Amino acid sequence: MTASFIKNSDFAAFLTAMMKAAPVYGPVAKRSRFAFARLEAPEELRLDYDVTILPPKKLFFPPAQDLLRFDSDGFEAALEPEEKILFGVHFYDVKAIDQTDLLFAERNCDINYIAHRQTTTIVASNVQTVSKRAFFATVGADVPAKGHDAALTSIDDGYVFEPLTARGEALLKFGRFAPATEAQCRGADKVNADVLAECPEKLEHGTAAIATKVRAAFKDEELWSQLAADCFSCGSCNTVCPTCYCFDVQDTWHVDQTSGKRTRYWDACLTEDFAKISLGEGATENFRDERGERFRHRLMRKAVYLNPKLGGPACVGCGRCSAACTADIADPTRIINQIMAS
Amino acid sequence: MSRPKVAFFDFTCCEGCQIEFTNYGDVAFLELLKHVDVVEFREAMSEKTTDPIDIALVEGSFTREADRAKLESVRERAKIVIAYGQCATTAGINALKNHQNDYKEFVYGDDAGQANLASQKALPISAAIKVDYMAYGCPVNKYEVLQIIAHLLHGKEPVIPNYPVCVECKRRETVCRYDEADHCMGQVARAGCTAPCPAEGIPCEACRGFVDQPNIRALEKVLVERAGFSQKRAAEKALMFTANSLEATQ
Repeated sequence: MTASFIKNSDFAAFLTAMMKAAPVYGPVAKRSRFAFARLEAPEELRLDYDVTILPPKKLFFPPAQDLLRFDSDGFEAALEPEEKILFGVHFYDVKAIDQTDLLFAERNCDINYIAHRQTTTIVASNVQTVSKRAFFATVGADVPAKGHDAALTSIDDGYVFEPLTARGEALLKFGRFAPATEAQCRGADKVNADVLAECPEKLEHGTAAIATKVRAAFKDEELWSQLAADCFSCGSCNTVCPTCYCFDVQDTWHVDQTSGKRTRYWDACLTEDFAKISLGEGATENFRDERGERFRHRLMRKAVYLNPKLGGPACVGCGRCSAACTADIADPTRIINQIMAS
Repeated sequence: MSRPKVAFFDFTCCEGCQIEFTNYGDVAFLELLKHVDVVEFREAMSEKTTDPIDIALVEGSFTREADRAKLESVRERAKIVIAYGQCATTAGINALKNHQNDYKEFVYGDDAGQANLASQKALPISAAIKVDYMAYGCPVNKYEVLQIIAHLLHGKEPVIPNYPVCVECKRRETVCRYDEADHCMGQVARAGCTAPCPAEGIPCEACRGFVDQPNIRALEKVLVERAGFSQKRAAEKALMFTANSLEATQ
């Protein structure tokens, strides 16, 4: 599909027309940070955001998602997907969504994710501001960003809009677009290439070499317990991660004690009870009881275990974990570079 | 469990957690009364009972040896004992006095010598009797209390979080206090409150106590390095609701 161009002066009208047709979710300011939220007005959109607190995954896989409602007559699905546009996703989050698309669709297809995903049109946006802990240029560099419906790149006096699917192309009708010139397309390519050099953090080695050496460090208990010495087991590295997808399911009863709902919540493998299991008759066992074991598990999941399935690491270099860890021990570049240098 | 007999008992506390039980709104409260038979609840009724009870909700700390017999009597009569509120679960803010020696004069002035004000170290009720479940918080989260009761009514184990408040802040996408040059104890504080304070820009004070394995050494380090606390202030910061737990970790 060929690229189009829209002038800065026509951009607000484009957003407004889209918002009339469907709910549009985009990055907006939240105190000193940014978050994906439903746009109420076009000027709320902040395409100059560095990184959002939570990844856009939350629109398909909400932190708390009702799965079903029950009463004395039986139960019904709580799923109510809405047609929506997810606008302004950075390419690293596009890569992450592509991963969760695969993980939730394989084997037992997770309809509670897929239904939300299938009703969403995703428009990517170039990274205008690089976050302080980003390392997206050096992680899984050969993994393409795909699965989105269109890509938007800010150049001097407007945006180059590249539809990638029919859904993406359908958005053209909402704005005053002209065919993009070759110079404009080259300008967009340069913007997207140049930003890669701006990452403040980087991995020093490639995916395969990292996977081999990190796996080989599995039994170095001293290493992991030392890396995890300041770990709070708070799970923040998990709960802000765009590729984490574990959840816990709980039932709650309404006060009538006959009706209620079943809800799934984001879970986090760094928290103490994540791996606590029943042995029956009231007995339990925690198969990752030590902080170091839990810390190691996250890194193995991100850099090693899922690689064959995903074709790259289960990490996209957004740097959210590094920034969310108050003890500042979660940064994958520091952990991996230390292991690679040993 | 079919319409269990439920009774409230209070020891050293402000009874605010019992008041929370009256704050469900009249429709929900009257609906709840169809499922539980409240037989003693001095905030809302004058009747008392000496009969066996199914669920005892015990509020307040154990601060006087003289209260041991009363606690034991509750335990003997009750199938299930729930430590109700932070004073009962960890001794809450009452335990602040455990580290002071002039609190009586400071609080009661000239009346400090009265015999009825004599008390010992503030302890959780589990120091005197076996406790089956904990309803944490200062005050309790009344919705969590409803779920604890619902689980017991349905013969299920109540689900009480052992993960920290950070998990709940992330679920609601709250801007971290540390991102705004503030401090917080959410990393070690037990969740279950749904993290309302940081969402309003207020640091977590761990009013539900700590998770089972709080990394206190790391908390002090982060309070010093990221929040600019003095070492002394960092070491004392967690005392407000968790003085006894803090002592246990050292």
